[in-house]
Amino acid sequence: MKSTDRTELMVPTRFRASFAAPGLLLEAVKRLKLDGYRVIDTYTPFPVHGMDEAIGLKPSRLPRACLAFALLGLAIALGVQIWTSAYDYPLVVGGKPLVALPAFVPVAFELTVLLAGLGVVASLFLVSGMRPKFKVPNLHPGVNDDRFVVAAEIRPGANFEVVQSMLADLGALETELLVEDRLEKGSSILDREATPLAFILAFVPAILALAALPLLNRDYLRRNVAWDGGMMAPVAYQSFDAHPSLPGGQVLQSPPKGTVSRLGLVPLAYGPGKPQAERAGRELMNPFQPTQENFSRGKLVYERSCAACHGREGDNNSSVIVARGLLAPAILVSPVVKNMPDGQIFHVTTFGGPQKMKGLGDLISRDDRWKVILYIRELQKAAGPKPAPAAAAAAPSAPAPSTGVKP
Amino acid sequence: MNSNQVFTVPSRDLTRPQFPTLAEIGEKFRLAAVTLTGLGFLMIAIGLATNPAHAWANVLITAFNLACVGLGGLFLLAIQSTTGARWSDPILKAHRAMPALLPIAGLMMLSLWFGAEYLYPWARPEAHSDHLLHGRLIWLNRPFFFGRILLFFSLWMLVGRRIVQHGKGAAVFILVFGVTFVVANFDWIMSLEAGWYSTIFAIYGFSGMFLQGIAIVTISAIVLRRVGLLPEISKAQNHDLGKLLFAFSCFWAYIWLSQFLLIWYANIPEETGPIRLMLNSRWTPFFYLNLVLNFGLPFVLLLQRKAKTNETVLMVACFIVLAGHWLDLYLMVLPPVLKGAAPAFGLSEAGGVLLQFGLGHMACWPVFMKDVNPEQEVPQR
Repeated sequence: MKSTDRTELMVPTRFRASFAAPGLLLEAVKRLKLDGYRVIDTYTPFPVHGMDEAIGLKPSRLPRACLAFALLGLAIALGVQIWTSAYDYPLVVGGKPLVALPAFVPVAFELTVLLAGLGVVASLFLVSGMRPKFKVPNLHPGVNDDRFVVAAEIRPGANFEVVQSMLADLGALETELLVEDRLEKGSSILDREATPLAFILAFVPAILALAALPLLNRDYLRRNVAWDGGMMAPVAYQSFDAHPSLPGGQVLQSPPKGTVSRLGLVPLAYGPGKPQAERAGRELMNPFQPTQENFSRGKLVYERSCAACHGREGDNNSSVIVARGLLAPAILVSPVVKNMPDGQIFHVTTFGGPQKMKGLGDLISRDDRWKVILYIRELQKAAGPKPAPAAAAAAPSAPAPSTGVKP
Repeated sequence: MNSNQVFTVPSRDLTRPQFPTLAEIGEKFRLAAVTLTGLGFLMIAIGLATNPAHAWANVLITAFNLACVGLGGLFLLAIQSTTGARWSDPILKAHRAMPALLPIAGLMMLSLWFGAEYLYPWARPEAHSDHLLHGRLIWLNRPFFFGRILLFFSLWMLVGRRIVQHGKGAAVFILVFGVTFVVANFDWIMSLEAGWYSTIFAIYGFSGMFLQGIAIVTISAIVLRRVGLLPEISKAQNHDLGKLLFAFSCFWAYIWLSQFLLIWYANIPEETGPIRLMLNSRWTPFFYLNLVLNFGLPFVLLLQRKAKTNETVLMVACFIVLAGHWLDLYLMVLPPVLKGAAPAFGLSEAGGVLLQFGLGHMACWPVFMKDVNPEQEVPQR
């Protein structure tokens, strides 16, 4: 059964003829078409001008693919540039608008051309069924060299001898019948001509593209893994490096004895602790007069740095930590604080109180600490008459060392 | 049908259909050309009397554009000669006629001697005290400037003659052209703006010139084929011309952007002046129109293969390109002459355009006639 099929399919109706010059081939193709033969294709070492018309090929549809890929490239290029520079990470460069179209043109142009070029070649391969093959159809050995070959079908009612003599007149070097086994022409995409390797290779770009997908989904808040290319370790000695020849064996040297740090300020000759605070109270005077300017600066600093704990009026009424049930700070308008000299309050603001309060000396500048005392004194004056009886009853007339200061 | 009608008996061979001769067609064309030229000169003359700066600017545009047409034809001829191109054989007659415009363009350029102080800041007496200009006066002074014009046009005509008549010297012309056209652009157009310079300016001028040259060759080829003078022109030639037009339209846009982008991005004060004027003034619509005419419309019109072989579409695209090149020159020449004022179109512009058409035909047609047999009968389509 199968063998009969084969013989029927093997009836040779196709032939090929080779010529030595493109002109001869063109004439032969025209003549064949004129006589009603179906020209299958021509095979030449280089494109022959006018052959498309002679064979009667329809205009290619590839330009449409070319346009589509070009527009795709344009859209990708403009999209990526506009998205990255105007939406995802807006950054003004050189005073230009975020969507600086003239600057995007070169990239858009290149990508348009690139995708159009690659896309049209890919489309050509896809549409014409070209793919990696090891078994190349045996056309004619001279096609890649100096022969111009036409393949055609014998017209019904004509025989091969007629064709042969006609083509010989037209200058054919040889004319022969094509015997082909149609059963071997695979219709499946996985036909025998292609190797599995080719298809595996074809998947590589797809796999790479899939692997790149997580990149689109990454966590922008996480720090990137940095590639230390050596730029992060400078050749020069760093401050805390060991040093073979400097005293102490390290780069950073301690300042000479008696060095005083400045920034224009005389250092405070006090340490933390209650005795030191009392000494400060005896020795220091507020260098600022209660002018309107100093007062409002003090008020500003107070409301920023003090009011949260001591309350806006210094009476703990609007204190955040008291409202939360935490340890109550010293009541600034109480007689205890009222009777403290400026220097002692200054010491407490600088080094902290005996209980919870932390020193704010490194947060509030020295001048501001003095000015804030001006404001506290005003608060005490304003609150003076009201809490006086209660305070007098609660506190001893003289500042009791045991109560201490709870600023 | 009226049987009493008297037919005049043609004197020619009755066995053949009667066609006008080439000379007769030429006569018809020439009348129109002479009218256009006369009108053009009249309008320019009125312009010179009423608003000399404006009119002289249009003389410059007209002269430069006519020179561009001549050089375009010569340059196309030269590259086809050096590359041994054969596709263009049927249309070479049109190429060979175009250089006939060079003497006229040269005379018009030389006539600028009388109007230089209206156009060029270096030609004004106060240039000597201008810090930006006094050093450039070594190069930009009247005798040297007009000497160069004379030298360039003589060189072009001399070398061009050899190409047109003997088909030789194409490579020499390309070399000569490369140097002289660059200097010509810097001299004639760029020196209108005293302190401004752009190193790519000459290539920009070249791209416009070449694009217009292709457009004119295409128009001539189509017109001559339609009247039946160059019957050997086929779709293939149209397709090739269409491709050239399309490609050089893109080339023009490429160079245009190369000049614009760098100035726009670098934002260096001495370079941005003219561009800033273009982007923020009444000139802005024309600035973008220039891009549309020279690149946008031809690109869209000629993208399809079918369009490139269609004579009507090609014709439309070519005339758009001609309008675009004129506007391009207008935008180069007029802003410095008007000193940044809003664009103005008047009699001078109309006169300049008419002159270009009229002189273009009057100069080229007789040369073309020498290439063909004037007594040849031309079958009308």
